[in-house]
Amino acid sequence: MLSSTLSIAMREMPSHAFTIAGRIVRQLIRDRRTVAMIVVVPLVVMSLIGLSFPEEGVLDFIAPALLATLALFFSFLLTGISFLRERSQGTMERLMASPLSRLDIVVGYLFGFFIFALTQTLIIVLFTIYVLGVNYYGDLWQIFIFQIVVITGAVNLGIFISTFARNEFQMVQFIPLIIIPQVFLCGVIWPVEQMPDYLQWLSAVLPLTYAVDGLRDIMLLGRNLIDVGSELVVLIGFAAVTSILAAITLRRGAAS
Amino acid sequence: MALDRVSFNYNGIKAVDELSLEVPGGISFGLLGPNGAGKTTLIRLMVGLLRPRTGSIQILGKAPSRKTAHLIGYMPQLHSLYSELSVWHNVDFFARIYGMRDKHRREQQIEEVIRLVDLWPRRKDPVLNLSGGMKQRVSLACAIVHKPPLLFLDEPTVGLDPELRVIFWDYFTALTQQGATLIISSHTMDDAAHCHRLAFMRQGKVIAQGSPDELRQATGRPEATLEDAFLYFIHRDEGNA
Repeated sequence: MLSSTLSIAMREMPSHAFTIAGRIVRQLIRDRRTVAMIVVVPLVVMSLIGLSFPEEGVLDFIAPALLATLALFFSFLLTGISFLRERSQGTMERLMASPLSRLDIVVGYLFGFFIFALTQTLIIVLFTIYVLGVNYYGDLWQIFIFQIVVITGAVNLGIFISTFARNEFQMVQFIPLIIIPQVFLCGVIWPVEQMPDYLQWLSAVLPLTYAVDGLRDIMLLGRNLIDVGSELVVLIGFAAVTSILAAITLRRGAAS
Repeated sequence: MALDRVSFNYNGIKAVDELSLEVPGGISFGLLGPNGAGKTTLIRLMVGLLRPRTGSIQILGKAPSRKTAHLIGYMPQLHSLYSELSVWHNVDFFARIYGMRDKHRREQQIEEVIRLVDLWPRRKDPVLNLSGGMKQRVSLACAIVHKPPLLFLDEPTVGLDPELRVIFWDYFTALTQQGATLIISSHTMDDAAHCHRLAFMRQGKVIAQGSPDELRQATGRPEATLEDAFLYFIHRDEGNA
């Protein structure tokens, strides 16, 4: 029993994940405009928020939330569209007919997007500290580890949701369904406690709530990863559930 | 490569119906038939993208799985390439996922196949900027870079001009001479004439198989073309049904 489980685990080792990650990075870098948007858009958003709120301290409050929101948004959407293309251009067929495992593909996508989303996180953190003059506690590496968990869930969600979209237009339609409600309900802009009870209940089942809480605790209160353990556990659970959904739906499109 | 009474349904429609087939090694084997005859479904079954509902498939003595995947090259009907990436990087990606770890050998082989399909001067261009025929050639290069003994080509000559079609058949002949087995689907009799052996397909079944000459002679008329032969077998099949 154990040996067969082990042999399955060995066989499923994502040995080609780096190959796929490398390809994703190369594809995105080739697209200069996308790279520019990834860097510029969060800075514009941060600056607008910083300038539009007259009272001090609002940006301190919003910036950590925006780190999580942008990581979720960006990883979800770009993974979704990349995967959709993988299906519509037929490369998925080639991947599924090759010796690659599903794990190779999912882990490859994760590694690829870690690089981009963490670069984005770094840019936002540096910008808010040095340009907008916000003070943070908490270590950068703890922020990064927390973000990796958020991104893992987002990438898997993107793979899963892309199964339900036939083209890029349909994929974009999932933004108002999946991202925007979370921005409003998860305490990004105003505290969850100020919302009606039933909306607070709803926010309790949305992953971004925990991402925002955790990052605020780390960055504003200087807490560490163990202090935000309960948020991390929820987010790891979300990543686990979405990774199962992603693995189940991965083949679809290649074999239909 | 052998198939034994293989069936596959799409939503209750029989795409492949109790089909048996045997393909000897080192030849080019043509799957000929009109659109919707089940050629693509059959190829997808053979490369392991679909599992047969009934019957069994053997690829070089084994059922198709991830373990046999590296023995197979697959060129799908669509170009199936990463359009932002260059010719080189597309071929390189597929070389890597087929386990070509040794950098020196991999690069040698990539160069060899890109030269084979005559795209060496364009190797740095993104696939996006290439013509349809060139994309088709890149697609072929990606399918053969790991030198698979068994190659599945789903309508590889569709949309090619006559000159390029001849060039493609030169590539295919070169590959069989190196010992590879090619399974090629097509709906044009022009391709059929180039194959060592043929299977005529219709409504998910093989209605006749043999060498092009054997199939022509079966009509009983010495001057018959392959098209005549195909029609002859369709009529015979309808007579039986």
